[in-house]
Amino acid sequence: MARLTAGIGTSHVPLIGVAIDQDKGDDPYFKPVLEAYDWVRDWIKKPENKPDVVVLVYNDHASAFDMDLIPTFAIGCGESYQPADEGWGPRPVPNVKNHSKLAWHIAQSLILDDFDMTIINKMDVDHGLTVPLSAVFDQPREWPVKVIPLAVNVVTYPVPSGNRCWMLGEAIARAVESFPEDLNVQIWGTGGMSHQLQGPRAGLINREFDTAFLDDLTQNPERLRYLPHIEYLREAGSEGIELVMWLIMRGALGASIKELHRAYHVPTSNTALGHIVLENAK
Amino acid sequence: MRQDIQDYLAELEDIPGTRIYTTERARQGYWLNQFCMSLMKPENREAWRTDEKAYLKAWDMTDQQKAAVLARDYNLLLELGGNIYFLAKVFSTDGLSFVQAVSTMTGMSVEDYTAMMNAGGRSPDGVRSIREGR
Repeated sequence: MARLTAGIGTSHVPLIGVAIDQDKGDDPYFKPVLEAYDWVRDWIKKPENKPDVVVLVYNDHASAFDMDLIPTFAIGCGESYQPADEGWGPRPVPNVKNHSKLAWHIAQSLILDDFDMTIINKMDVDHGLTVPLSAVFDQPREWPVKVIPLAVNVVTYPVPSGNRCWMLGEAIARAVESFPEDLNVQIWGTGGMSHQLQGPRAGLINREFDTAFLDDLTQNPERLRYLPHIEYLREAGSEGIELVMWLIMRGALGASIKELHRAYHVPTSNTALGHIVLENAK
Repeated sequence: MRQDIQDYLAELEDIPGTRIYTTERARQGYWLNQFCMSLMKPENREAWRTDEKAYLKAWDMTDQQKAAVLARDYNLLLELGGNIYFLAKVFSTDGLSFVQAVSTMTGMSVEDYTAMMNAGGRSPDGVRSIREGR
C-alpha cells in the first residue's frame, strides 16, 4: 500500500524562484534564502527519504483561476501541468508530471469522505507550486517526483478554516493509505509565513508568531487547528493566512511526528521565509 | 460551534491599514479584477500601454475604479474591490516589483520600505486592532 512518510512546509515566495532561476546563490541578499534549503536537498536525495509522489498543497495567485471560478479545494488529476506565465513569461522549469491514477483515487476517496472536491484536468501551475519544487530539488531537467497539485482558495474570504484544512489532511492520509501500490508519498504545505502585501500595514513580519507556529506543529497542533482567521490576519498579516495550508499537511501526518529540520529567514521580498521538515511516525 | 457571521465580518474590518478581500469586495471588484487579469496576455498589455483610457472603455468598471487605476492608487483600488494578486498584473506591466509596488501603499519611499524589511519588517505592535488600540 502507499505510505505517507513525511511532510514539508515551506514559503513559496516568487523571489526564491528568481534566485534559483538566475543562479543568485552568491548574492548576499539571496545567500541565506537559498541556504535555508541546503539541508532538505541532501535529505531528500537519500533513497529512504525520496518520495515517489508529492501531494503539493498551494494556492493559485490569479494565474489559473480568475474571478470567474473560485474553488475552495481543487485537486489536479490530469497527466501534466505547465508552469504559468505570470506576466514575465513562464518560469524556466520542467512541466509537472502527475501520478494521475493516485490523484483520481484521492479525489474519489475525498468525495466519499464528505469533501466535495473540484477536479482539474487542465490548468497552468504558478509560483505557488513550482517555487517549492525548485527550493527542494534545485534545477533538474525533469522533476524527480510525481506531483499532485492541491489548490486551496486563500484569496477570497472566507477561506477554509484551520480545522477544515486539518480534516482534509486527515482524509488525504486515509486516501493515500488505501491506494494499493507501494509508493512513498509526501505531503507539502506551502505559503506563508508572516507577510502582508497590501495597504498601509504592508511589510508586517511577526517572528514570534511564526516561531510559535513552527513549534506547535509538533508541540501543540491542537492550538493551530483551532486558530481563527482573525488571529492569522492580526498577527501574521493579510497574506499570512496562507499558513492554513500547512495544516492540511500537518493533519495528514499522524499524532506522533518528529521535526527533522527547520529554517527561518527575514526578509525574502516582503515575506518571512519559513521551512520545516516533519517525519511521520513509522 | 461556528462564529456569528456578522461578528466574523466585523473583525475582518478591524485591522488597521488592511482591506480583507471579502465577498462584498469581490462582488464590487469583479470587473476591476477581470480587467487586471486581461493584462496577462501580451497583446492586451500592448494595447493597454498604447492608450490606457481607451483600453478601459471596454470594461464595465465604475468611473471611480477607472480613475484609481489610471492614478495607480492601490489603496483606493483595494477599497473599491481590487485584490492584490489581480492588481499585481497592473504594476507588473508597469515594470514594478512587489516590493516597489507594495511600498507605494505604505506612504514610505521604496528605500525606507526596503530598509524596514531588511531590519526585520513592520512590527505588529499597535496595528493589530482598531477597536482595541493594540
